Amino acid sequence: MTNKRGVQIAVRGAAVLGALALSGTALAACGSNDKSGGDSTATGNTQVLNITLSNKGCAPPKSEIPAGPTKFQIKNSGGTKVTEVELMQGGRILAEKENLADSFSGSFTLNLKPGDYELYCPGAETERSPLKVTGEAASSSGSEAEQAALTKAISDYRAYVQDEVNQLVTNTTALQAAIDDGDVARAKKLYEPARLNYERIEPVAESFGDLDPRIDGRAEDFDSPEDFQGFHRIEMALWQDNTTDGMSPIAAKLVADTESLKKLVATLDIDAAQIANGATELMNEVANSKVSGEEERYSHLDILDMAGNIQGSEKAFTLLQPALEMTNKALATTVAQRFAEMNAAMEPYKAGDSYVLYNTLTADQVRELSRAVGALAEPLSEVAGAIVGKA
Amino acid sequence: MARQQRTDAARATFSRRRLLGAAGVIGAAGLTGGGFALGSAIATPQKETTAGDETPLYGEHQAGIATPTQDRMVFAAFDVTTGDVGAVKSMLAAWTVAAAAMCAGKQVGDNEKHPLSPPDDTGEAVGLPPSQLTITIGFGPSLFDERFGLAGRKPAKLVQLPHFAADQLDPRKSDGDICIQACANDPQVAFHAVRNLTRLGRGTLATRWMQLGFGKTSATSRAQATPRNLFGFKDGTNNIKGEDTAAMDQFVWVGDEADQAWMKGGSYLVTRRINMHIETWDRDSLKDQEAVFGRFKLSGAPLTGHEEFDAPDLAAKGDDGAEVIPTGAHIRLAAPSRHGGARILRRGYSFSDGADPTLGDFDAGLFFIAYQKDPASQFIAIQKDLAANDALNEYIIHTGSAIFACPGGLQQGETWADKLA
Repeated sequence: MTNKRGVQIAVRGAAVLGALALSGTALAACGSNDKSGGDSTATGNTQVLNITLSNKGCAPPKSEIPAGPTKFQIKNSGGTKVTEVELMQGGRILAEKENLADSFSGSFTLNLKPGDYELYCPGAETERSPLKVTGEAASSSGSEAEQAALTKAISDYRAYVQDEVNQLVTNTTALQAAIDDGDVARAKKLYEPARLNYERIEPVAESFGDLDPRIDGRAEDFDSPEDFQGFHRIEMALWQDNTTDGMSPIAAKLVADTESLKKLVATLDIDAAQIANGATELMNEVANSKVSGEEERYSHLDILDMAGNIQGSEKAFTLLQPALEMTNKALATTVAQRFAEMNAAMEPYKAGDSYVLYNTLTADQVRELSRAVGALAEPLSEVAGAIVGKA
Repeated sequence: MARQQRTDAARATFSRRRLLGAAGVIGAAGLTGGGFALGSAIATPQKETTAGDETPLYGEHQAGIATPTQDRMVFAAFDVTTGDVGAVKSMLAAWTVAAAAMCAGKQVGDNEKHPLSPPDDTGEAVGLPPSQLTITIGFGPSLFDERFGLAGRKPAKLVQLPHFAADQLDPRKSDGDICIQACANDPQVAFHAVRNLTRLGRGTLATRWMQLGFGKTSATSRAQATPRNLFGFKDGTNNIKGEDTAAMDQFVWVGDEADQAWMKGGSYLVTRRINMHIETWDRDSLKDQEAVFGRFKLSGAPLTGHEEFDAPDLAAKGDDGAEVIPTGAHIRLAAPSRHGGARILRRGYSFSDGADPTLGDFDAGLFFIAYQKDPASQFIAIQKDLAANDALNEYIIHTGSAIFACPGGLQQGETWADKLA
């Protein structure tokens, strides 16, 4: 489980992608303040929408535009009461440009999906102007071959996630049976494969709001100790208290939650950039909570979890690799090599069909693993931008 | 706001200095954007900035050695984690480009390449002036071991430091293949430099140790007053000053005698993490503290003089027949006359890493930095003597140690990779 900011994948029907909202913030931070402005309407495959910000408002030059990468080029012309423009949808800020005093210019760029949006400039006579985006969703600047590769990656990744969730339900149900039988040793053994299934697809699960905290929350994530539930509550009972007492209802709830996850995953709507960001998210999971030994504090199965995260991340990358090789071959080569190095770094800790316990590693070994994680995650974070093309 | 100011502020590759100086806080906040805009506007120091606020990366010697000591320092040492020397060289080239930008008060790289990509620059220095940032790099002896085929490029004088009496070195705070010394008058600017270079190097190298220095302890310019160390004493009164080019050439810069061409104009850097027993020092009498240093605490004058810069009279004896500057006094032991005239350029910083987790005592002291042209006859010779005889040893422990060869300066168009070519 990550912090709430990690939500990056949306369910079909949800209005806007989490990722888009997140990138909006980053975007505002790195958007340019330039004076060029110009009247060009397209650079590469990015359409440019020139917005004039004034005390009257911030109406777009046309109220309907096609979907795709769009640069909002904003210029404050005589606007003394207004300093910012936000792109909103359904009450959420997708991107914004702030601190545009009179005669300043700035821009933000994002890949617009079809739908109804608003440009919002607080303080103006007309604060909100509608913008309708029409046409096909999110076609990037890529060639047909790239598009075909990405389409295949998306469908293969969906299949992968569904397969993992199916196994998660099966393996969690088996864990529940062992708990109901009061068999601590068997339950401990069955805890492992279920964890692996979950850790491989964690970012997807995290996109479904409350489910991830219920399934994977740690003791301190709950408001009161009585609410502590999910995998780690069971882990605490099995390893710290060496019992299954009181765990049957917790196990039943966990199985029910994994079944809910399975239903939601069947409707998963995901795009290539989200798959790439999910791969990075998985490695950030490793960096923040696995390599530190925080996640599996009772069982010390952190290295096993880490393997799950790495496997899930590598699966996502492997599926995107053909498309990435068309857009940025050097990056594809680097990331593939770093995955190989990461796997080599994990190799010594394999023990049968599992991994050694985290608390058997020396400080130097932990640092070694941490370095491999950083070396991989850094270029991996560039993949999303590389596969959707220059905006 | 005048028209010219806005134009300046709005340059695509903007200068932090120009931005703040000309457009002021609004421009700075506009660039940081997002929810941090307000905080940034408040937090951004409105320093008076001038052209003198920038220290160029390029020159005959690396900046950060003869440069007047800045107020803050971030020092990082790295282990190279790849076996591919080509990757190391590519990284050094990328470092040069990034360092030149940062020293000029600009952001690193492309920060608008794609909304779905992380920006190249980490952003925390946007809106801050260059703050005299200098980035000095060095190569440790281990870089020239069997891993990279660079053994033939190793300068003979780059020797591993020997064990000195009472050393309690932590290997995780010692040594390293490559180092960065980033100094600036703003700690965030120095941190930003190390952070961004570390990020550029990820996968090629990894941080071995890092040290923040919060206050300079040496003056390297005649224009600077002598700062005090955490013992409360003026430190480095007789330090080599950057303006003294004859002394710089005699003691600091490697000259034509360089056995490796890349070391010409360079210097050897020694760092020592020296923990101070602050608690016991503070309970020591003034008289004893002054005897330990051989100087008066407030004035900084030698015990045989009245003013800070009075020459110590090491031979002077008191009425009791004992030496006025005691046998074990720090200034007696460190005196050039005792070491065949040898001097070093000191450029250290006070540090604190918080409280010692076991005892709750200060984990603080001096991050000692010295530059010289010949470690064997300079730092090593002096430190052998100090380690054995210095009265100060009762109050200090050396916990970290490293040596690096800092190559000569870069000409425009040249990169640090060229030094290992």
